[in-house]
Amino acid sequence: MKLTIDQRWDLIDKIAKQTVTFGEYRHTLKDAIGELTIKPFTGIPIAIAVMYAFWSIFGSFAGFFTDGFFVRLFDAYWLPWLQEVFPGQGGWLYAIMVDAGGIEGGEFVLSDNCLESFGVLTSGLFVAIGVVLPAIVIFYLMLALLEDIGYMPRLAVLIDTMLHKIGLHGYAIVPTILSLGCNVPGVTATRILETKKQRFIMMTLLAIFIPCGAQIGIMQDVIPGLMGWILLYLIIGYFIFGYILNKIVPGKAPEFLIDVPPYRRPMLSNIGKKVWGRIAGFFKVAIPFVLLGAAIVGVLYQLGVIRFLGDALAPVFVGWFGVPKETAGPLIAAFLRKDLAVAQLSVIEMTEYQMITAVVLVSIYFPCVATFAMMLKEGWKELLGAMAVLTVVVFAYGGLIHLIGILLGVA
Amino acid sequence: MKVLLIGHPNVGKSVFFNRLTGANVTESNYPGTTVDFTKGYMNIGGEDAELIDVPGTFSLDPKDKAEEVAVAMLHENKDVRVICVIDASKIERGVYLALEILEEGYPMVIALNMWDAAVDKNIRIDINNLQRILGVPVVPTVAISGEGIKELISRLKEAKPVEIDDIIKNAGGLT
Amino acid sequence: MAGKSSVAAIYFAILGIVTTGFGIANILVTAGASEFAYGILEISGDLFRGGWGGAIVLFAGLFYLSGARNFEEIHQFSKIVMGSILIWIMAGCDIFAMITESIPGGEDGPWFNTLDGFIGTYAPPYAPAVLLLPFSLVVLYYINKRNQEM
Repeated sequence: MKLTIDQRWDLIDKIAKQTVTFGEYRHTLKDAIGELTIKPFTGIPIAIAVMYAFWSIFGSFAGFFTDGFFVRLFDAYWLPWLQEVFPGQGGWLYAIMVDAGGIEGGEFVLSDNCLESFGVLTSGLFVAIGVVLPAIVIFYLMLALLEDIGYMPRLAVLIDTMLHKIGLHGYAIVPTILSLGCNVPGVTATRILETKKQRFIMMTLLAIFIPCGAQIGIMQDVIPGLMGWILLYLIIGYFIFGYILNKIVPGKAPEFLIDVPPYRRPMLSNIGKKVWGRIAGFFKVAIPFVLLGAAIVGVLYQLGVIRFLGDALAPVFVGWFGVPKETAGPLIAAFLRKDLAVAQLSVIEMTEYQMITAVVLVSIYFPCVATFAMMLKEGWKELLGAMAVLTVVVFAYGGLIHLIGILLGVA
Repeated sequence: MKVLLIGHPNVGKSVFFNRLTGANVTESNYPGTTVDFTKGYMNIGGEDAELIDVPGTFSLDPKDKAEEVAVAMLHENKDVRVICVIDASKIERGVYLALEILEEGYPMVIALNMWDAAVDKNIRIDINNLQRILGVPVVPTVAISGEGIKELISRLKEAKPVEIDDIIKNAGGLT
Repeated sequence: MAGKSSVAAIYFAILGIVTTGFGIANILVTAGASEFAYGILEISGDLFRGGWGGAIVLFAGLFYLSGARNFEEIHQFSKIVMGSILIWIMAGCDIFAMITESIPGGEDGPWFNTLDGFIGTYAPPYAPAVLLLPFSLVVLYYINKRNQEM
């Protein structure tokens, strides 16, 4: 027999009266602190402090491993050793695997660091292990801590009003933050949003505007001073285009109901398992793609394809975006791995403005192949829609940034 | 035997699942961590059982894609036994979901999870009376530390379908 | 009882004033884009640690000030605790940064830092939050006391 909703609640009321007694409930310190973190007036300063801590520890930890040890290991030992033992210096295989080198005064010279060498075994491995690994480890460790303590839903409540303006609600902060690690689980997490419209907006915004942990890690290492600007451009873009999408995408954006769980002491074993699982998952995708990306870009360089593309697209790059045409190579690599693309951009000679614009373009222009595949799994119509939005965004936002640059007199 | 873990978001279904199967499903302290189902295997009294962890759902009337997964898993597996995981401090809402599932004739045991939090909040639940009214086993548990899990599993074999009429009778009739 | 709690109230009010002052000083120094050092105090002028971090120290001070009155009441007390938590966050980040800087040998140096260099990293001057850290720990005493009373 089936009950109506009213009958069911009536029955529950009867059952509860006979079985549940509520004793007097005293507010504990934990409850009071829970309230502080959720009321906007006190919660926003706390959120600002939490973000500060996240960022500060991220920087210290990644810097410790990358600048403290890996840069030296790769530049002073690994690179010279490979340059020495790998056969066929100057040949195409050598250029792809180890060092493309450079021409100075008509002579072939070897690179002196792993960012400039562009080789699969040098740049590729350095980016994957030397830069991205420490960044990802600390990111997931801190994320797991915040998750298990129970801070995430509170952040969701705090940011709810702002996200409503872009057709989402507070809970969209979960896929957004997950995407800061890697966009792939971020896309999966959009399932917690209620309507098709919300999922579409979220997925599109993630793919375009949220840089993944690998990309953040490499930016932190090679262009730390410009990172603030790049993130600012991405955040502003996230809200501008979210606002526009909310206006033009048909569908509903329902209200937000969330249970805020109590704070809990995190279980070390769970954090360990979770971090390990995420890192393992990440590296299954990252290592092959970084190496493949470095190889493909290397081959395309050798075949002259990149030079050709750079020349052909020069009017777009130089005229519309105001960046040098050499950025064509990294933009191709960006389809496979954004971290690799940023590493390649960092050694091209550019003004600060051009570097900022180029990195923003790398972030927004195309999701990496793994994200692309994940979006396809969620639905090809959504994917096509997202791609259409993306094309418009790249040109509109890229042009806008150029315009701002011109107005500021730096472009 | 097939066993399905069902309950509201963030009541600890994934914690149960990991404890019972030794698997590594992601657990977090926020609703919506699980968005797809996961299958695992456990041993109940020498018999192999398949355990399915599904996304949290508030009712059998799904509101988002993750809830759809949960409801679809329930409806696709007619021969399952259900472990309905309820937050002991929000028992009314949990019983709502449990009733919906019982109405569809599934055999069930109820885990009153986060029992420790309910005790902290001074909420007392008369387990025996609740069992008598609902006619299914009810076990207080603290999944994170593992309390009550053994009892829950040992009572899984007592799970049987119940008639809603009986529940109404036991509760003293509807208004 | 009343006497004791008023001691606590005065203590946290003073701590609040000092913390707020540090926060404001921090932001001003950053706005002037310079560093400031006096005795064992050093205020960073960079936008991240000085500006953003300074704002957090300021928030911590305001939490202390708004929680100092009627200190026995749980919601007021939670503000004091939160002020201390913010200080712990700031000081923790500063100390963690020191630790990560102290171990590697630096460019062109050996792999690991020399013992002198290692210890030297921990010498004063310190950032405001680190100086405030010992004073903020007093809150633990009151949390403990409260737990025992319950």
